[in-house]
Amino acid sequence: MTTTRYDVVVVGGGVLGTAVAERLARTSASVCLLEAEGDVGEHASKGNAGVAVSYYGGPGTLETDLINASNPFWEELCERLDVPYRRIGGLMVALSDREAERLEHTRAEAAACGVRVRILSAGEVREAEPLVTPDAVAGLSLPDEGIIDPMRLTAAFASLAAVNGAVIRLRERVEAIEHEDDGTSTVITGAGRYRARFVVNAAGVGAGAVSRMAGGDPLVTWPRKGQYVVVDRAFAGALRQIVFCTHLPDTKGINVVPTTHGSALLGPTATDVTDPDDRATDAETIARVVAEAARLVPAVAEAYAIKTFAANRPAGDEPYRLRVDAHVPNLVHVTDRSAGVSISPAAAQYTLDLLQAAGLDAVERPGAHTALPRVPRLRTAPEPERLTEVDPLYGQVVCACEHVSAAEIEAALSAPVPATSIDGVRKRTGAGYGRCQGSLCLAGISFLTAMATGCGPDAVRHTVRGTVGS
Amino acid sequence: MSRLLVVGAGPSGLGCATELARSGGHDVLLIDRVPVAGGESGWDKPEVRDLVRAATGAGVEFRLGAAAAVWTDRRLLLTAPGAIRWVEADHLFYAGGLRPATASDLNIVGERPAGVLPATVADHLLSTGVRLWKRAVVVGDGPWAPHIAERIRGAGGHVTAVGAGSPTWADQVVAGGTGLEVLGSDRVHTLRVVDGTRVRDLVCDVVILASGPLPNRNVDGALAEGAPHVTFVQPLDARGIAPRAQAGRAIAAHWARTNGGNP
Repeated sequence: MTTTRYDVVVVGGGVLGTAVAERLARTSASVCLLEAEGDVGEHASKGNAGVAVSYYGGPGTLETDLINASNPFWEELCERLDVPYRRIGGLMVALSDREAERLEHTRAEAAACGVRVRILSAGEVREAEPLVTPDAVAGLSLPDEGIIDPMRLTAAFASLAAVNGAVIRLRERVEAIEHEDDGTSTVITGAGRYRARFVVNAAGVGAGAVSRMAGGDPLVTWPRKGQYVVVDRAFAGALRQIVFCTHLPDTKGINVVPTTHGSALLGPTATDVTDPDDRATDAETIARVVAEAARLVPAVAEAYAIKTFAANRPAGDEPYRLRVDAHVPNLVHVTDRSAGVSISPAAAQYTLDLLQAAGLDAVERPGAHTALPRVPRLRTAPEPERLTEVDPLYGQVVCACEHVSAAEIEAALSAPVPATSIDGVRKRTGAGYGRCQGSLCLAGISFLTAMATGCGPDAVRHTVRGTVGS
Repeated sequence: MSRLLVVGAGPSGLGCATELARSGGHDVLLIDRVPVAGGESGWDKPEVRDLVRAATGAGVEFRLGAAAAVWTDRRLLLTAPGAIRWVEADHLFYAGGLRPATASDLNIVGERPAGVLPATVADHLLSTGVRLWKRAVVVGDGPWAPHIAERIRGAGGHVTAVGAGSPTWADQVVAGGTGLEVLGSDRVHTLRVVDGTRVRDLVCDVVILASGPLPNRNVDGALAEGAPHVTFVQPLDARGIAPRAQAGRAIAAHWARTNGGNP
């Protein structure tokens, strides 16, 4: 097995790993990203509520600093990366006097973080978001909360990294990390050996295992399962803001979050599990999600539920880790329990700073690409009738529910880090995400994916892990 | 002259458009996303050809190979390869056909692995002639179920019907229970049928969702009953070409009577 050499090997293709790879790829350092799954953004970066938060915890933490450093730039970044983002604001709702008191605590904490925040009266809450329950006694307005497509963000980071020369290796689970006498390390997967000056551990829920392999700090990580319900845009279209429940000391609770697709997410729950592959929903929890969401926004009880899903976020003994390992000087940990999307741009810069301070020779590379080509979207184009001038295939609608055209699907299948499964197409375009859940379009998408990946209708991948045929 | 649009050129859309054109005073444009009429019934059936001839004879205009996306302010956004256009009209008849119930519609919980597929998709995939599955579980007895089961069994596969009454098309029949749960992290390997406290595990390599039918709704602005200037032509009970065409004609006739031709 040959060994390839890089300045930095990034372990993990979630939103943080891809963001770090993208940042490094714009410097003179060579970078390789290793992802165990068959696509980037397969775990927590796929299964989250899609909120780029303005506030997540108390002041004076690195996480808060990174949120603050990222938040003002989402519009500019998402424009460059061709990622859907809207700064629609959030509204935290108090349903009792006790919760209203708690809101005041949250207001003070958010204000201390430098976040724009304002207490609203019951009347102002209803005015800001008429769908909120009349039982609301007070609210907290957080105008800098935004909604983002986390899958498109992760795929875009990966694609821009690849465009700038980063090597993205999928289906390569790290099996061992060996340290060499010259201070470098060899990262060994089932398919290759990668000699690296530095190793970035962005393995999310697997970060503990990666650190252990490298002989690093004993990071304790475990999967925390969240269950979600997706509701149709016939309801969600009327929703103006993100509606949060009042954060209590032990939980952030169930929220109602509009998505960039026009649907809304209810959730998440938080249950610690042992198996990172346990992504099963259960009827009792799903019923509870809807009931709790309906306490905030009663109309969700009547809304049409498109689908339910579960995902695991990387819980741990520390809420986040962005630091050089205490034992292994060329190992840098980059993990966050839940705010990975929200810190990703600033965390990538911070990681570069850490690496440079540790001796990485990385200077800005003139001429590096800073943007991806824009792929217009039929559903959201301001003048859809002009899209066929760009590509006649915009007129070929494949996913009827979400109005995704063949042009968008072809772009996803030929991106620098392309979709290689039906699910990968869905992640990048929203095709199959709508109320019929692909009953009209999945066959067509499977044929397009089969052609792009060079396999037959049986061997085409449905998800990154499983094929259509058995 | 009022301008009427019928979206969906399956039997019910063909029947509806023909009736509207015959009732007089209307300009009727029949639209379908695929380049042939017939919808799920198929373009090559003699009964479909008869319905197309009747529509043409009544003066219905066809726009095939164009998908409707948005209905707003009495304008329909029509998309066809190389041409995306707004078409103005007075009223929209939506005959977009039927679909199987989704996992969410059926309250199916558990994992979301590869190999859980809507019946319509399974039908398309099987039509390639490639042998895909050895042990299928078909949930429900919607109109797709018998045909799919026949294809799988014809290729040597085994079919278990769940929650489909007592169909003749399955090798094994299992009652629906109170809940269904999908197991398998890479591919589906089991459908668990829960009935109160009893659990029955059905080992399988595909789960095909064939319950329903439910109406397809995918034109923004024409998603739910009560949408302005929209009539839905999606009979749920009529099965077969002639009954569906008849149901389409009945809906059109009722509309013409109650609206007096004023959309």
